[in-house]
Amino acid sequence: MKTPPPFRLHVAQLTLLAVLIFAADAALLAAGPAKDPWFSSANGSARILTRGRWTAGIFQPLRHGISDRIELSAHPLLFPLLPNFSLKWSHAPSGPWLIASRHIFYDPTPLLRLLRRKGTGGIVSPEFEIPNMGAWTSELLVTRPLGSTHLVTLKAGITLCLFRSSALDSRTTIDLPLVFPRLQPFYQGYSWRSGIEGMGRLYRRWLYLVDGDLFFTPGGDENWALEHKGMLLWDKSGKVQLGAGYKLTWGEYPFGTQWHLLGPLIDLQWGWGGR
Amino acid sequence: MNRFKLLLCRHNSCSLTARIWRPALFSLLFCLACSPLVTEFAEVEEAVLYTAARSQNHPAVDTLTVMTWNIRFGAGRQIPWFGDSCGDRVILTENEVLAALQAIAEQINLFQPDILLIQEIDIKSKRTAYIDEVQWLLDHTSLSYGAYASMWEAQYVPSDGLGRINTGSAILSRWPLHHAERIQLPLRGDQDALTKYFYLRRNILKAKIEIPGHADLWLLNIHADAFSTDDTKHKHIIRFKDELDKLAAAGAAFIAGGDFNMLPPGSDSTDFCDEDRCPDEHFHGPGDNPFHKEGSCYTPERDWLNDIYATYLCSVPLDEYQANPSRYFTHATDRHAAWDRKIDYLFSNKPWLAEGSQTHQQLINLSDHVPVSARWVVPR
Repeated sequence: MKTPPPFRLHVAQLTLLAVLIFAADAALLAAGPAKDPWFSSANGSARILTRGRWTAGIFQPLRHGISDRIELSAHPLLFPLLPNFSLKWSHAPSGPWLIASRHIFYDPTPLLRLLRRKGTGGIVSPEFEIPNMGAWTSELLVTRPLGSTHLVTLKAGITLCLFRSSALDSRTTIDLPLVFPRLQPFYQGYSWRSGIEGMGRLYRRWLYLVDGDLFFTPGGDENWALEHKGMLLWDKSGKVQLGAGYKLTWGEYPFGTQWHLLGPLIDLQWGWGGR
Repeated sequence: MNRFKLLLCRHNSCSLTARIWRPALFSLLFCLACSPLVTEFAEVEEAVLYTAARSQNHPAVDTLTVMTWNIRFGAGRQIPWFGDSCGDRVILTENEVLAALQAIAEQINLFQPDILLIQEIDIKSKRTAYIDEVQWLLDHTSLSYGAYASMWEAQYVPSDGLGRINTGSAILSRWPLHHAERIQLPLRGDQDALTKYFYLRRNILKAKIEIPGHADLWLLNIHADAFSTDDTKHKHIIRFKDELDKLAAAGAAFIAGGDFNMLPPGSDSTDFCDEDRCPDEHFHGPGDNPFHKEGSCYTPERDWLNDIYATYLCSVPLDEYQANPSRYFTHATDRHAAWDRKIDYLFSNKPWLAEGSQTHQQLINLSDHVPVSARWVVPR
């Protein structure tokens, strides 16, 4: 199994980001901040929801701005099977850079126990026990507006296996895109995650969102995964946003390296409340 | 293998939770993946060719030792795998698979076959620690060249935790293989469309072998259906014989064999439902549904091999088998029982060496099948 050097990929990501920032900077920096409630609180950026605003989506979490500096979120549909919550905390800006930290807890135990079954739907073999487990992710988000219509965000963080009541058999891995890298901390103890995200207005109510994430798990035989998403978003109003796009993944699995194109991704978000 | 049918919720056993979650899970998997979950094959397509890490050149020979062996994907015989032995094991450890492969390789190196037809060999399956067993056997035996045809290739089988699977048949040889083809056999006719989509795609693996001094020798390997309750198995053997007839008509020599999942004509016992039933199963009783265990009642198919026996030469002639059937038994489903039926065969259109045939019944723990070998006179 050949492993492309993940750090080189990461450096390429950062270089691309730097070129993007500095090339666009001179042309766009003079413009003011966006007024659109969706654009001004993009989930992947260091921006947070204004106090009292709520947003929810089919695949996006339920978010709530509880103050001008703190936003809470959780995936309500997943919550019964994958208890989770997230806190995004806005810190003092540094020049044009907005800075926030995001802290996430998730517990995959109920979901994995549901998927551990005989017959159809058995994603994990019933011969294995699934211990009680939980993970904590902390990441730093740094966002820079490029003019009034674009945002670029850099992010880096670590996911730690917070607790695990007993050993988890290595044969319980779910060797599927998106899932495999996110469960690696439960096998290896921790994993690193970094990425970039760009968001901006294309024309009137049309926005784009592109991102790239690198998951890096030292110590395991399968170290890395790259994910890229592209979405086209339509702000119907301050209350409704529609999106469609794709996700491309490339990474190491126990059977080797493989890429997957997933999609189409369709999402619908609602927003209400707030100033 | 019976558990493969559990890919779908059948009969009235679905709970409300299952009725909601199973379709949802299938829908999610279908929506997520742009590439198909299960690989479907063309009627005829190229097989995958292999070469040992250190291949050797072998001289011409006057006789060939040929062997056919269903190796149960390197699970040995004693592991109670859920799909074929009333067990509860699904995903083997790497050590279990390597130990089984090592034992198989030792026997191959002991018997020194020149040509080995293998059924149930995994190349990238979660259940066997993603070991490429074709490459592993080539690298650990004196055989140098291989061809592989998959009968079940799926990115993810969302049932019983099976996950990714790629299993099939292989031909291993001391001499290079060419024109290797995977010939698709008819799918089971007694399954609904969704079950059929996720189910095995049986095939014939055919290749030409390049033995110095012999230009037109072909090898064919079949693993016919095991559990069909209609005439699918019959279609498989008819298709197999058609392929042999074409080669014979063209003046070529062939060695053909594999796991036919059928008994020789004239077998004195043709119903193995009681031998094969799991502890919680019951057959042949009033109200039993199904009346027979799937794949265990061979009675309707007792004549299906007549034609191939009548046309070509079996390494174990029919009269020899009928005179002493138990000597030639190759398989049993109960891992503690003695071999109780013959379903593995070698055929050719050229003579086998008299007294050269062996059914290796002493190999009791390497697979749920024993190898059958024979010596074949290379025509000049």
